[in-house]
Amino acid sequence: MVDVEGGSNDMNVSLFIPCTVDVMMPEIGVATHGLLTNLGVQTIYHKEQTCCGQPLFNAGYRDQARKAAKHFIDVFGEDEWIVSPSGSCVCMVKYHYPELLEDEPLWHNRAQDLAGRIYELSQFVVDILKVSDVGAKYAGKVAYHESCHILRGLNISDQPKKLIAGVEGTQLVDFNNSAACCGFGGEFSIHYPEISEAMVKDKVTNFITSGADILLLCEPGCLLNISGYLHRNHPGRKAQHLACFLVENIKKV
Amino acid sequence: MRADVGKFMETARQELKNQQSQMFLMMVSLGAPLLRQIGMSSFPDPVAAESYVRAIRAEVIARMPELLEEFERSATARGAKVLWARDAAQANNMILDIARQRNVSYVMKGKSMITEEIGLNEYLISNGIEALETDLGEVITQNLSLPPFHLVGPAINVPPAKISKAFLKKGIIEKETIDPVELGGGARKYLREKFRHLQMGIVGINMAVAQTGTIINVENEGNIRLIKSSPKTLVAIMSLEKVIPTMEDAVYMTRILARNCTGQKLTTYVSMDTGPKKHDELDGPEELFIIILDNGRSAIYENHHTREILKCIRCGACLNTCPVYTKIGGYPYGSTYCGPIGQVLTPMLSGMEKTTDLYRACTLCGMCKKICPAGIDHPSLLLSYRAREIDGNKKKGKKLENAMASLVSMGMSHRWLWNLGVNMTRPLLNRFAHDGAINNIPVGVQGWFRCRDLQAMPAKTFHETWDDLQSDSVPSEKTKHMEDS
Repeated sequence: MVDVEGGSNDMNVSLFIPCTVDVMMPEIGVATHGLLTNLGVQTIYHKEQTCCGQPLFNAGYRDQARKAAKHFIDVFGEDEWIVSPSGSCVCMVKYHYPELLEDEPLWHNRAQDLAGRIYELSQFVVDILKVSDVGAKYAGKVAYHESCHILRGLNISDQPKKLIAGVEGTQLVDFNNSAACCGFGGEFSIHYPEISEAMVKDKVTNFITSGADILLLCEPGCLLNISGYLHRNHPGRKAQHLACFLVENIKKV
Repeated sequence: MRADVGKFMETARQELKNQQSQMFLMMVSLGAPLLRQIGMSSFPDPVAAESYVRAIRAEVIARMPELLEEFERSATARGAKVLWARDAAQANNMILDIARQRNVSYVMKGKSMITEEIGLNEYLISNGIEALETDLGEVITQNLSLPPFHLVGPAINVPPAKISKAFLKKGIIEKETIDPVELGGGARKYLREKFRHLQMGIVGINMAVAQTGTIINVENEGNIRLIKSSPKTLVAIMSLEKVIPTMEDAVYMTRILARNCTGQKLTTYVSMDTGPKKHDELDGPEELFIIILDNGRSAIYENHHTREILKCIRCGACLNTCPVYTKIGGYPYGSTYCGPIGQVLTPMLSGMEKTTDLYRACTLCGMCKKICPAGIDHPSLLLSYRAREIDGNKKKGKKLENAMASLVSMGMSHRWLWNLGVNMTRPLLNRFAHDGAINNIPVGVQGWFRCRDLQAMPAKTFHETWDDLQSDSVPSEKTKHMEDS
C-alpha cells in the first residue's frame, strides 16, 4: 500500500466501467478496482450501469443516446467521485451529455453537475489522489500512446506518464507520432477499413521502431484496435491498458 | 475537372496504393505542421496571436451582414462596381457578360477556390472564352484536368515527367524536361506573353476590408499581382465570409494566414487594391468589378452551429494534420475543398445526401479542431451532420436502422436487458473463435477483420465479476485498520 497524499481513506469512488470493458475486457475493470483499492480508496460499482451511449451518439442516433444518458445520470446520481478507465467515455459524459440535454433544463443541470464529478483514471490518481508512484516494479521499456480523447479531449498527457515514471525499473521510450490517431474511431474502423488499416499500421510500426516491449494506453477502444492488429500481424507484441500494467506489477510485500 | 464525392472509397483505395501520392502525403504530414509550428513560434506570444485571430474571425461572423454592406459602400465610393450574386450560375453569367461586352477572347485567373467551386473555367470555355490559370500548380492541374490534391498546393503530388508531357502538348515548353526549374521557367515565359495582351483578369479575394473597400490577395508567385495590375478590366470574386472589419485586422490576418499555410512569416506578394486606377496613377485596371457571391453561405450562416464554418481562412492547416487526409490525399473528397474543411463545408454546399462519406469518414480525433487558427470545431459539426442524416432517414421511412438503435438504447437503459443481449451475443460471436480469437465473422462487421482479429468474448462480464471482487479484494486501508485494532 502506498501513501496517498491527496485522497482520504473514506473517499468513495464510483466505478464507471465502459461497455467495451464490461463485455470485452473486464480485466481492465478489475485492474481499475485493484489500483484504486490498493491506494486505500473504497470503490463502489452501480450494477445498473451499462453504456454511456457514445456509439449511438457518434453514429447520429441522438434520441436514443439521450435515453442512455438519462439512465446514466440516474444511475450515478450524486456520486462525488466517478472514475473511468476510458477517456472517450468520460468525454461523452462530460461534454456531450450537457449538449444532448440542452433543451431539457432539469436534465441539463444534472448533466452539467455530473460533468464536474467525473474523472479519467490516471487523472484521478495523479491529480486528485496526488499519487504518481503506485508501488509497481517492472524492468523494461514501454511506449505510451496518446489517445485522441485523452489528449485532445481531456488534455491528459502528463498524468499517465507520471504513473509510468513512478514504476521502478521502467523506461518510457520516445514514440514517434505518439499523438496520432490509431484509426479506431468506433464505426470508422468497420466502415472505412482500408483507411483505418493504414492508420493502425503506422501506429504499430512506430511502436515497434520505438524498441518498447509494451505499448501502454488508457483507452479501451484504441486497445481493442491496436491489440487486434498486433494479434493478427505481430503476434507476441503486446499492448496493454495502463491500469492492468500497473496492477500486474505492483510489488508484492 | 470535378470529381465525385460518390466515389470516396473507390478513389481512396486507389490513392492508398498510389506510391507517388503516399510519398507526398508523408512529406506533407511531416513537413507542413513543423513549418507551421516554426512560423507561429516567431510570434512573441503564439497563444495570444491565435486568440487574436480567433477574435477577429468571430467578429466577422457576428457582424457579417453589416460588414458586407459597409464594404460595398467603401468599395463603391472608391470607384469599384460591386455586384451581388446569389449562386454559381448568376456569378458565372455576370463574368461571361463582362467578358463578352468587352470582346475578350481569353481571361487569366489567379488561384482561387471560389472560382473552382462555381466551375468558372469550364463555364467560360464552354462559352468560347479561354480561361487560363496562372498559378503554377493550377496551370498543371488545368492542363492535366486534375482536381486539387491539396488546398494550398493543388499539384504537389504530380510528378515532373507528367507535367512535362502536358506542357509539351500545350506548347508551354519546347522539349521534354523533368527539371522543375525549367518547367516553371517554361510556364513563366508562356504566361508572360499572354499577360502582355491581357484585357481581362479574374482573381479571388483573400480579404475584403469593410473600412476601406480594399481587396487583398496573398501569393508567392506574382501572377495575381500581374492580373490585378495589367489588364483594363479586373473582376474580383469573393464569398461572403471574406469580408474583414479593418485594415489592421487584415494586416494581422496576412501574418497568420502565411504562417498557417506555408510557415512563412508573410507571403512573397501581398497586393492591396482600393478601387480602379485613378487619373494620376500609372497602372491598375480601368474598371474593377467585385462580385460578392453567396452560393449557399447565407443558409450556412442562418444556423448558429454551422455558421462557424465561415470562420475558415483557407490556410489548409487542418489537412496537413488530419490522419485521414494524410492517408488518402485530396481526390476522394470529390470537390474543391478537401480534408476536414471540405468535410464540414461540402455537405452544406452540395447537400447531405450525396456526401455521407465526408461526415462519416472521420475518427473524431480532434487534430483539425486543435490546429485550426480560426477556431472551428470540425468534429462537433460532423457529429451534427450525422444526427441530421439519421433524422432525415427517419422521415424518409428508413425505419429498420432506427429501430435497431432504439433496441440498443433500451438495452442501455435496463441492465437485465443488457445482460440478456450480452448472453445472447456471446455464443453467436464465440462460435467463430479459434484459440481465443476471432479472425472473421461472415456478417455485418467484416471491415473490422480486414486487418485485425477480435478476442473472443470472455465468459463473464465485469458486472458478473464484481461480487467475486468484493469477497476476495485487497482489504482497504480502513478495513485493515479495523482488523489490526
